[in-house]
Amino acid sequence: MINIANMAKKLEGHTFLLSANDLKTGKVLFYTSNGWLPELNKAIKIEKKSIEKYEKLLKIDEENCLIVSGRFVELNDSGSIKNLRDKIRSSGLTFKI
Amino acid sequence: MYKYSEIDKKIVANRVKQFKNQVDRRLSGKLTEDEFKPLRLMNGLYLQLHAYMLRVAIPYGELSSKQLRQLAFIADKYDRGYGHFTTRQNIQFNWPKLPDVPEILEELSKVEMHAIQTSGNCIRNISADHLAGLTIEEIEDPRPWCEIIRKWSTFHPEFSFLPRKFKIAVTGCSEDRAAILVHDIGLRLIKDKGDIGFEVFVGGGQGRSPYIAKKIKNFLPKKDLLNYLEAILTTYNQLGRRDNIYKARIKILLNELGIEKFKEFVEENFKRFSNKKLILDKSTIKNIFKFFKLPSLKPGLEKVPEIKNSLFLEWKNQNVLPHKHPNYSIILVSLKSNEKPPGDASSIQMRKLADIADKYSFGEIRVTHEQNLVLPHVENSRVYEIWNELLNINLATPNIGLITDTICCPGMDYCALATARSIPISQKITDHFKNYSHQKEIGDLKIKISGCINACGHHHVGNIGILGLDRKGKEFYQITLGGSAKENASIGQIVGPSFSEKDLMGAIEKIIKVYKKNKIYEKEDFLSVFKRIGIKKFKEKLYDNN
Ligand code: SF4
Repeated sequence: MINIANMAKKLEGHTFLLSANDLKTGKVLFYTSNGWLPELNKAIKIEKKSIEKYEKLLKIDEENCLIVSGRFVELNDSGSIKNLRDKIRSSGLTFKI
Repeated sequence: MYKYSEIDKKIVANRVKQFKNQVDRRLSGKLTEDEFKPLRLMNGLYLQLHAYMLRVAIPYGELSSKQLRQLAFIADKYDRGYGHFTTRQNIQFNWPKLPDVPEILEELSKVEMHAIQTSGNCIRNISADHLAGLTIEEIEDPRPWCEIIRKWSTFHPEFSFLPRKFKIAVTGCSEDRAAILVHDIGLRLIKDKGDIGFEVFVGGGQGRSPYIAKKIKNFLPKKDLLNYLEAILTTYNQLGRRDNIYKARIKILLNELGIEKFKEFVEENFKRFSNKKLILDKSTIKNIFKFFKLPSLKPGLEKVPEIKNSLFLEWKNQNVLPHKHPNYSIILVSLKSNEKPPGDASSIQMRKLADIADKYSFGEIRVTHEQNLVLPHVENSRVYEIWNELLNINLATPNIGLITDTICCPGMDYCALATARSIPISQKITDHFKNYSHQKEIGDLKIKISGCINACGHHHVGNIGILGLDRKGKEFYQITLGGSAKENASIGQIVGPSFSEKDLMGAIEKIIKVYKKNKIYEKEDFLSVFKRIGIKKFKEKLYDNN
């Protein structure tokens, strides 16, 4: 289980997505109104003020063995993912295999 | 090739059973991720950006055709149909699912393979010269010594929780193809007044503080090898720092203590351990050496026939080396084509290569730390035949040692620690320099690329090193010049401010121009020019805005 205590305090930015890896497959998932799904476009946008609510949710789903390695993904002002690692994480490899 | 003893088989089978139980407990919630993580890491299982990654040990880089076929089977059944050969002669699968991993380990155990000690703060896979046992100038085959060290270090009770990971490499030649000077311990077999023993180097490493190893013993008799390793590891285990992960490697300890003090501690422990029953007797050594005899090679052609085919000749000149048996050749199989990330091989290629190894090379394959493969014993008369077969599976790229034979870590496409991508950079280089005569004109040149300061892509010891950085959310690349992992090992010097991804190829072009302009004879290689003229001229060209 990740240590999510004070996660909100460490976050910069205003809007986030909640993401994690599926415990069984390792697949990247996003928190949506229908639970954890791989579709980025269905991810719920989370304001900083509601982070704590989602931290709790993350903890519960980790304890329920659904997901692992939960994280908040910061969005920029235009609503897209800010950092490169999270971009690659959400869109997959940048070359063909 | 080494064959598992009953004890080896039991150890591996028990570990598979144990890990299955741990995975079951994790999936049912009896183990939290915090509890499970160290257990999975001890079995080579990481969680990366998009998926789990399983690292499988290939002891001293030696594989049988049967093992390679099994790796292909695993790639198809449990992964995405390919595997990635690493800079420590291992293989990684990038997409396994957690519930499948115990089954994968079971499949591996059927061919005497495992993932034990491929991660964690323990003694990792022992690596060796990929031409071990094959060259005339070798003092002695290092593989039996790697096997002796592997046996001693597997589940060593005192060294399973070291301050940090620990890497050992062994070579039997004065020409260093195993990068021993950038390992925690590097061993070189040498001859002294007719006796064979080891030169011992300690404290090499890369990462954020790169160091070239220092020699702490001029000549160690063979019988004392394990006692002496035990003495070094004990010194490290007792005195190595555990308070700061960045200062925990043995290289930091050695440099903080100073070499003389460090040696004193080691020698003291060495004396204390003389009763530890680790002295190697002749029959133990002989028994291990039996596994590494040359196959029965037969007489044949003294030379590889000169077939009039320019593509074949290019490949032969670049990828074929003389074997110590005059009628045989060593074939280097490049995993650096322009179609795949460096070090990747598809399951189809693995399977076909296993067939080729059976047909032409006694079923033996080696993995190099430069992420290529070797077919060690091929009759001279059959080299053309084998080239045709390799060509059919896109494994006949004629670029061993050339600018497109890059070493490259997985970088940000896979790795959760990365600060930038590395594979696309390597692909750009391969594409940019795809013309073989241009590559040939540039000559021997090692480009090594890492996606972060952990330096898994060995950038510090690249003739041209490229380190990916994150500058305010954008990828930038720092260039170092003059590094080498060979017997003349050196850490590359940083040229100056880093380059954007867009400007990087232009910068490499400029470096090549300076090199070519300053060569004083046709075959003078990049490293020699760099050593002669220094970094200044390169800097001037790189940062000259005119
Ligand atoms: S060098 Fe960095 S990015 Fe590359 S594999 Fe190692 S940790 Fe990952």
